[in-house]
Amino acid sequence: MKTSDVIVIGGGLAGLMAAAVAASRKQSVTLLTYGSGSLPLASGAIDFLDAKNPDAAIKNLPDTHPYKKIGAKAIDASTKFFCDVAAQANLPYVGRTSAQIPIVTAVGTLKYSAIVPESMDATKLADKKKIFVVELAGLKDFYASMIVDNLKKYFPDKIFETAKIDLKLLGGRDITCMDAAQLLTDNEQPLANELKALNAGGDDAIIIPPILGVAGNFSRDIIKTQLRAEIFETTCLPPSPAGIRLQRAFIKYLQKSGVKIFENSKVVRGVVEGKKVTGVVVENVVREKTFPARKIILATGGFYSGGITMREFDSPKETIFDLPVFFPTGAENWSNQQLFEDKPQGFSMTGIFTDENLRPVDASGKILFDNLHVVGANLGGCDKIFERSAGGIAISSAYKAAF
Amino acid sequence: MSDNTKAIFTGDRCLSCTSCMANCPVMAAVKEYRGPKLVGPAHGRMHFSQEDVEESLNFCSNCKSCDRACPSGVAVSTLNMLQRAEYYKNHPHLRHEDMLAHGERMAKMIRMMPFGATFSNIGMSIGKTLGVFSALGLAGERNMPAYASTSFKDLHKRIKQTSASRKVVMFTGCYINDNEPQVGEAFVKVMNANGYEVLIDEGFNCCGSPLVVTGFLDEARQHADNNVARILDWKRKGIPVVTPCTSCSLMLKEEYHELFGEHEMHEAAENVYDAFEFLEILQERGQFNEDVNPINQRLLYHVPCHLKSQAIGLPAQNILEEFGAKVVTADAGCCGISGNYGFRKDKYEISMKIGAKLFERVKEQDFEKVISDCGTCRMQIHHGTNIKPCHPIEILAKAYK
Repeated sequence: MKTSDVIVIGGGLAGLMAAAVAASRKQSVTLLTYGSGSLPLASGAIDFLDAKNPDAAIKNLPDTHPYKKIGAKAIDASTKFFCDVAAQANLPYVGRTSAQIPIVTAVGTLKYSAIVPESMDATKLADKKKIFVVELAGLKDFYASMIVDNLKKYFPDKIFETAKIDLKLLGGRDITCMDAAQLLTDNEQPLANELKALNAGGDDAIIIPPILGVAGNFSRDIIKTQLRAEIFETTCLPPSPAGIRLQRAFIKYLQKSGVKIFENSKVVRGVVEGKKVTGVVVENVVREKTFPARKIILATGGFYSGGITMREFDSPKETIFDLPVFFPTGAENWSNQQLFEDKPQGFSMTGIFTDENLRPVDASGKILFDNLHVVGANLGGCDKIFERSAGGIAISSAYKAAF
Repeated sequence: MSDNTKAIFTGDRCLSCTSCMANCPVMAAVKEYRGPKLVGPAHGRMHFSQEDVEESLNFCSNCKSCDRACPSGVAVSTLNMLQRAEYYKNHPHLRHEDMLAHGERMAKMIRMMPFGATFSNIGMSIGKTLGVFSALGLAGERNMPAYASTSFKDLHKRIKQTSASRKVVMFTGCYINDNEPQVGEAFVKVMNANGYEVLIDEGFNCCGSPLVVTGFLDEARQHADNNVARILDWKRKGIPVVTPCTSCSLMLKEEYHELFGEHEMHEAAENVYDAFEFLEILQERGQFNEDVNPINQRLLYHVPCHLKSQAIGLPAQNILEEFGAKVVTADAGCCGISGNYGFRKDKYEISMKIGAKLFERVKEQDFEKVISDCGTCRMQIHHGTNIKPCHPIEILAKAYK
């Protein structure tokens, strides 16, 4: 078995990004995944931090925060690299880390995010005269009238109109946005015709669920050119076409760059020589297989993805290298019973602490392995959901670790 | 690890996250299928009466993309197959289902007749022309796989092998035995070159994969019990069982235990290897015969779904590249045929739709040969592109002097 320059463990956003960055630097890369990662469930927008200017807010974070280890330079470079990978798959993204862009959610609220798919960028909604919200016959979980009711709170002066169009999706299962997007790929004209029939003008907007294909923006391009009004996609419930497009953009990039992707490959431990990890061991159903590497990037995720587990209270475990996991001590600090309160959840701070190069450290700050780097949701010291930094931390830590 | 892999124990791990739906090639091709999540983990646990059947269950091709997409280790496709078996407890099998499930039985009958293979092949081509297959419920567009004039098991008796202390038992699989014995010959040549004598165990049955996917679970269980007992016999003698068919190796290694949950199945699985997995282990131990002519070929590799599921990396690519080949993976997803799925008349179109991306890739023809470890994948590529692929072991066999 040939030794890889880099092995990335985990196929979520952080793992895909790390593999892409390493491959772009002419490294031989092996990506080991177990499960398809959460991108097909994600909105496709990349949050950096819940702040008007994330860059400025990052400067004020405590030193234990992952962003402080990653640093402004890597954060900036990672967004450029990310947008470039997506653009290569005809999936343009817009935004920067010093501002936030509004996107319309599936219920018609506005969500602000730093880097968003161009098809969702709702900045220009404010300039429109009339907003059409279009739902599809048979499509689950998308209600135009609810979206209008909520959007009116943001845009009380605008004219709204709802429409329901029938793309003949019925006659099979309940249709999700993913189904509609898949059925629409290479069959865009019926939707284009229905949208044209709305007679929306150049000053108007059309809001639709994210059904414009699953491959980049190819379907959107076909429809966009036939309409005078601007068309906007919302987010949706999983499975999410926008997340699937992003995942496919990355996988395509990895395949083109010669990255070896092995699915179903559960890594159970590392092969360790002193302070060096020389490989990882995958356990399949009957035996183990060792994948040797010069550098390892750990992107297995936190509690939600099984990268960190807790079988005994107050004793969280990192499952592969048994790295020290930091968490708030004292049961009273573990959770905040007011789920929707304006405070983070203690347990969500759980994760691994690192040095500036994202190598794991122990409580005294000693680096444990010279060639092991930790990225994404494995990193401790912040509640990524509460502060809305998961996507930003994923891509910027991956960039830093793989560069 | 073994008890965790029994399928019925994995359903409760389903979080309904929809990852399996996002990765199901059948769902992408057809809107009638309600999808792996609903059919396997959900309906499998929720139906409480015999009449409560989920009809769209028959759309699952058992390609196992859902299993690989699942972040929680749910054996989604096997739960589907268990559901399918439940369905057939109260519903009769159609004639084409019976035929497609029992290829081994049919081949045995034909082998008993003088010139049986020749006449069957003539019969099949006439049958295709007259539309007989279509009338039976089979995909009339396809050629049924032609029988080789001599089965591999018979051919094997004529191959002169030097007796060696190191031995493997070859699990031939039905397709290699009856249709592509040249793959078996290549396997023997490669193993001999590496100092192994190849034995055949006439007592093995078909692995049972075609039975499982058509809902003949009781028969599949009989095959499993017989095969497992024999594999354990060989294990006691210290002789590994190796197969160049990735669907057979997956069935023997993983699916028996997932389906039936007997501990012996797992013990037997430990003695089963995919052909290139075995060769790569030899290579890692420094026991691989590297006296190979350089393979100066550019090869397009379609990696079978059932190889991806085994989590053994891509040993064929590693070994062939070691000797100079340039192996490019097709990266075009499932080929669509999935065993006998694409041979059913009502699934033919779906199977071709799923395979379209792969056909497109193959038709670029920027290589000298297409390789794939799975017999039905090779058939599907041939059917969809008119370009005939081979097993990677055939490339390696030719390179041995």
